[in-house]
Amino acid sequence: MDTQTLAETLQLERLEVNLFRGATPDEEGRGRIYGGQVIAQSLLAAYETVETRLCHSLHCYFIRPGDPKIPIIFDVDRSRDGGSFTTRRVVAIQHGQQIFNLAASFQVEEAGLEHQSEMPATEPWETVEDDNARRLRLLPPERSESLTWIDRSHPIEMRTVGGRLDTVKAMAREPMQQLWFRARDAIGADPHMHQVILAYASDMSLLGTALRPHALDFDRKELQAASLDHTMWFHRPTDFNEWHLYHQVSPSASGGRGFNLGYVYRGSDGALVATCAQEGLMRMRKPK
Amino acid sequence: MDIENLSETLQLERLEVNLFRGITADNSPGRIFGGQVIAQSLLAAYETVDSRLCHSLHCYFIRPGDPTVPIIFDVDRSRDGGSFTTRRVVAIQHGQQIFNLAASFMEEQDGFEHQAPMPATKRWDELPDEAEAQREAMSRMKDMPEQAKRWMSRPRPIEMRSQDARSYFQGGVAADPESQVWFRSRDPIGDDQHMHQVILAYASDMNLLSTAMRPHKVHWQTPGFQSASLDHAMWFHKPVNFNNWHLYAQDSPSASGGRGFIRGSIFAEDGTLVASVAQEGLMRMKTQKA
Repeated sequence: MDTQTLAETLQLERLEVNLFRGATPDEEGRGRIYGGQVIAQSLLAAYETVETRLCHSLHCYFIRPGDPKIPIIFDVDRSRDGGSFTTRRVVAIQHGQQIFNLAASFQVEEAGLEHQSEMPATEPWETVEDDNARRLRLLPPERSESLTWIDRSHPIEMRTVGGRLDTVKAMAREPMQQLWFRARDAIGADPHMHQVILAYASDMSLLGTALRPHALDFDRKELQAASLDHTMWFHRPTDFNEWHLYHQVSPSASGGRGFNLGYVYRGSDGALVATCAQEGLMRMRKPK
Repeated sequence: MDIENLSETLQLERLEVNLFRGITADNSPGRIFGGQVIAQSLLAAYETVDSRLCHSLHCYFIRPGDPTVPIIFDVDRSRDGGSFTTRRVVAIQHGQQIFNLAASFMEEQDGFEHQAPMPATKRWDELPDEAEAQREAMSRMKDMPEQAKRWMSRPRPIEMRSQDARSYFQGGVAADPESQVWFRSRDPIGDDQHMHQVILAYASDMNLLSTAMRPHKVHWQTPGFQSASLDHAMWFHKPVNFNNWHLYAQDSPSASGGRGFIRGSIFAEDGTLVASVAQEGLMRMKTQKA
């Protein structure tokens, strides 16, 4: 992944009109596939069957852990090509089993009624420390395995306001967090690709919001945490090479699950460009 | 809307292991109420799931439903896992997909707990019955078409009591994109938790879109205005007894590109957050179409 941009890594091979194949970048030390990659590739697969229209929403389920060692097959169902809207469903398959599904809708761009919630006041991105720089600076050397991974070049730059959970003292906090993020590589002029990379990035850190009131971070060995579903609404086109504020809140945790909402605002003008919703598994493993 | 008992009306006939057929109650003005298709699709999924409870569902409305013919529900058994069961359902009429749903089910278990507080608001017993309030408002509206009056005053399976006048009766005043409604099932639902979820899913498609219309002085009877649910998502956080009153607190964080986006939180009377909802809807003046 050092030589290729993220946009290149995500690209799919067309096997048939509605059938695609994607690969997982070689990331040493990771036994499963990052969820945002499958979301991004499924959206790309759907886009391969849609002319010009822009995605305005997508709904996904993570069904089984992905296997990073073999390719993923993406099977697209052309649910509808309507006058204003196009609807698609995608199933991601490995080892003969569904690992993930996505449903998405696409629309001809139109003008209309406008309102949006205001971007919350927060520390500007210029003064927030880069997450990985902070982890390299603060994490103890015994976590060197994860440090090796952190030390790589990452496709998404992230700056968490107040510091990522693994770099601050463990304590109960409000179920709210804010981070600034953007794509590291130049994405180009295609608005589809900005959505795809934003979708890739939107699965990061969201689950952590629901962990905050419970004084937990992802490195607790007994903690089992995984994305269960993922939803995105694209309200306005954006340039994801610019800094965006990802404002996250968790309205609920119960029954071994945490529920999170994320609002993506463009830093330069405060435009609400997308809303995300995600439920995640968060439970302590029973001692064996 | 001759809905004597909503639970009975929604029931499905099993055609094959994963294939079901449902009907539409004799009522609708030309199309099927979205909540009905959500509820029946969830029922179809439940017919293929043992004992586990639904914790989330995601739907798309693809084509308008035809109330004069039955709906076929085709269930895909995506996974039967150790902790989770996943299903997809497609609703079909006239050989075409009209709707899809994906849903996930799990065993009830304990774990970490937190929730957003219920907003301070008037209680249901301090508010007038919606049917009464609407009759009174309609008597003051001389320009309301007879067909719309009949539709508004039909008997409904869901009782609703609104915090403030709904968009239709706002009288052309722009308001914040927020709305709070108390609601519950009119008919007793019984002990089956599945059925409480199904009826709550049915009811959750009501009133949402009008929340996004509030700042724009439009409503579903505004001439030339077009509105329809596009998608619908629900997360069931806690078991629910929908025979009791619940507060449906809604807000719309965005409208753009001919679409409005609305979030809903459903609280039991004691303040427990039992479910969250999100929906995007079409809302545009027909002249705006390119």
